[in-house]
Amino acid sequence: MSTIPTAGPEASPSVNKRRRKIDAVSIASFIALLVTTFLMLLPLFFMVSTSLKSKKELLKFPPSFLPETWQWSNYREIFDTLNFSQMYMNSLFIGILTVVGTLLSSALAGYGFARYRGKGSNLWFMLMLSTMMLPYPAIMIPQFILFSKLNWIDTFLPLIVPAFFGSAYNIFLLRQFFSTLPDELFDAGRIDGCSEFRMWRQIALPLSGPALATVAIFAFIYSWNDLLTPVLYLSSSDKFTLPVGMSSFTSSRFRIPPWHLLMVASVLAMLPIVALFAIAQKRFVEGIVLTGIK
Amino acid sequence: MKRIRNKKTFALLLATSMLVVLALSGCSGGKSAGDVAPGNNGDSAKSSSSGEQVTITHYTIDSEDRTFIEKLIPDFEAKHPNIKVKVEKAPYEQFDSKLQTLIAGGKSPDVTSHYGYGGFAEYYNKDMLLDMNDIIQEDGFKASDYNIPDDLMKIYTVKDHVYGIPVNMYVTLMLYNKDMFDAANVPYPPSDYEDKSWTFDKMIEDARQMTHVSSDIAKTQYGVDFTWSERDMRPLYFGAEPYSPDTWTNGGVPSETHFDSPEVIAAYNKLFNLILKDKVSPTTEWSKSVAGQNGDAFVTGKVGMTVSGSWSLAGSNDFPFKVGVAAVPAGGNDKVRSVLFVDPLLILKGSKHPKEAFEWIKYLVSDEVQEKSIDLSGGNPPVNTKAAETYYKHFDGIDPADVKKVYEGAVKYGFESYNHLITHYSQINDMFINEMQPIDTGHKTVEQVMPTIQKKVMEIIKR
Repeated sequence: MSTIPTAGPEASPSVNKRRRKIDAVSIASFIALLVTTFLMLLPLFFMVSTSLKSKKELLKFPPSFLPETWQWSNYREIFDTLNFSQMYMNSLFIGILTVVGTLLSSALAGYGFARYRGKGSNLWFMLMLSTMMLPYPAIMIPQFILFSKLNWIDTFLPLIVPAFFGSAYNIFLLRQFFSTLPDELFDAGRIDGCSEFRMWRQIALPLSGPALATVAIFAFIYSWNDLLTPVLYLSSSDKFTLPVGMSSFTSSRFRIPPWHLLMVASVLAMLPIVALFAIAQKRFVEGIVLTGIK
Repeated sequence: MKRIRNKKTFALLLATSMLVVLALSGCSGGKSAGDVAPGNNGDSAKSSSSGEQVTITHYTIDSEDRTFIEKLIPDFEAKHPNIKVKVEKAPYEQFDSKLQTLIAGGKSPDVTSHYGYGGFAEYYNKDMLLDMNDIIQEDGFKASDYNIPDDLMKIYTVKDHVYGIPVNMYVTLMLYNKDMFDAANVPYPPSDYEDKSWTFDKMIEDARQMTHVSSDIAKTQYGVDFTWSERDMRPLYFGAEPYSPDTWTNGGVPSETHFDSPEVIAAYNKLFNLILKDKVSPTTEWSKSVAGQNGDAFVTGKVGMTVSGSWSLAGSNDFPFKVGVAAVPAGGNDKVRSVLFVDPLLILKGSKHPKEAFEWIKYLVSDEVQEKSIDLSGGNPPVNTKAAETYYKHFDGIDPADVKKVYEGAVKYGFESYNHLITHYSQINDMFINEMQPIDTGHKTVEQVMPTIQKKVMEIIKR
């Protein structure tokens, strides 16, 4: 995982002096951080190490720290044994569209809830929030019936379209952010003859980098990790997403699961999340630096 | 302001759609999956009259030993030009929930088996299964034509109505680590069920010679692991019967259970003593820490013998040691010494094309396909007695004669697994695992736990 970025580009001399004074404290905290980082990285290390072991070595006890023979071919094998690249593309495709849909719909709805007052808008807001309390299994079957009437079974639509209708949590998150934007900005926009939609697009959105990045990360991670929905709606192998394919790895009750390949898959599955996190985190920091608004 | 109104319409739309979802979820609550299915399928009008092209779906687990049937489809479709077969799959963990949703959503598959946690009795009692009698009569299907033993046909026949055609038969057997036996200079256990010397006590004696407990977890090894399969089945093996006999005649609902009887308690004590008193078996924690996520310490080569399902044979080529198969030692029950796990093929009530589904099932149990399936699946045991000969020879490094003897003995002394035949089985099984945990860790005795289990089993059954 990426490291926590330090604030500010270059430290000025006065800061340096202050730093020297608290050297003891910072060294101690540095060591503490180092130890925790190491502990956090350990499972990750084992994941990578296991992904390079041979099947026979998996069964060894105690497990070896590093692979005895580095079996790089595992990384090739995963593409041979499963339609792994297909699943990867499916997951990416669904994930990206989910992010687009969530950002569009939740930002619009959140903006609406934050900036406009109307009759009963609080009631609608409460109603929307209350949908967060519905666990997925409660709506699973009715939703399935709905989508099956629309003939959407075994297509990606049930996994993508709902994102374009917003999700309570993200709307709430963005509403909170939009309400912190100063009214003056929008008044100025209005005086300049800005349309309401343009104010959303050119004033509110550019100032919301951090919030939008957060929502994007949440939406992508949720879609990327989701297992139950794809299991329900997808039935053909060429449409499977990564989690479905990966949980099929351990499906056989009859054989030792190929953990090494599962770890290869996990390593590869982790990459987009790490990448997204790195990119979104940069945006996050930029957002604060550029706008000065928190 | 127009735009503001737009926002409101959007919110309104959102809210109404949420309400619709709420209302829908409300009405689904009271109905079970079974009774939503038949009335709900919009396209049930499509008739399945002969000649017209129909598509049947086979729902199964997404793992190589199940999805191999996809390779059998082209040949079947060539022989039955009017039938197309589609395979739908789900990972093992999600098998049951997807099946329930499919049925409730009016998209019931045609053919499946009880591959998830739920067993045949659960499906039967939820009224999910089609009574095949009419189709069988019309078709003139005879189990003997397919080399399926009559005894196996009886397993999925309730009150003279056939609800499932057996397709695979797994048995309980003993696997042993030849390398460990050689190192300890102990002769291999026999594969012949008629060998009277192979008793539970003899097993303990052999196990003792291979057990070395050391403070170093890596150097510790145990003689035997007897924690096979579901927990409520284990007493049977020692001559104690926890479920009343009427269970097998009325669709898996026992009128009485006897989990607190002295016989059942004695049986459990015998097994737990392997760990707690004789100390020839590993504790659950030890197994877990040694085997990691595989959960089976035997495959790491640190356990001499293990009682297991014959499905373990399919993975035996990957074990880092030489493997043999043996009979399960006699525990005191003259009639039952092996638990059988016979998987049937079932037609679901929601099937729109039951006749075509039956054609597919017949194809899957035919001599030729059963034989082919052994290799394609990587070692699924066929029910077909003719194909079985090929199965015995399938495993590298294991003597086919031993596999054959073990299978024949298991059929002779076999009893069909409870998990297929008792209602609400997944709940019973979960309860057993939870309640017995304190015995594993030595915090409670069998005597303390069994009355609670007895009470809870009855509660679950009466649900």
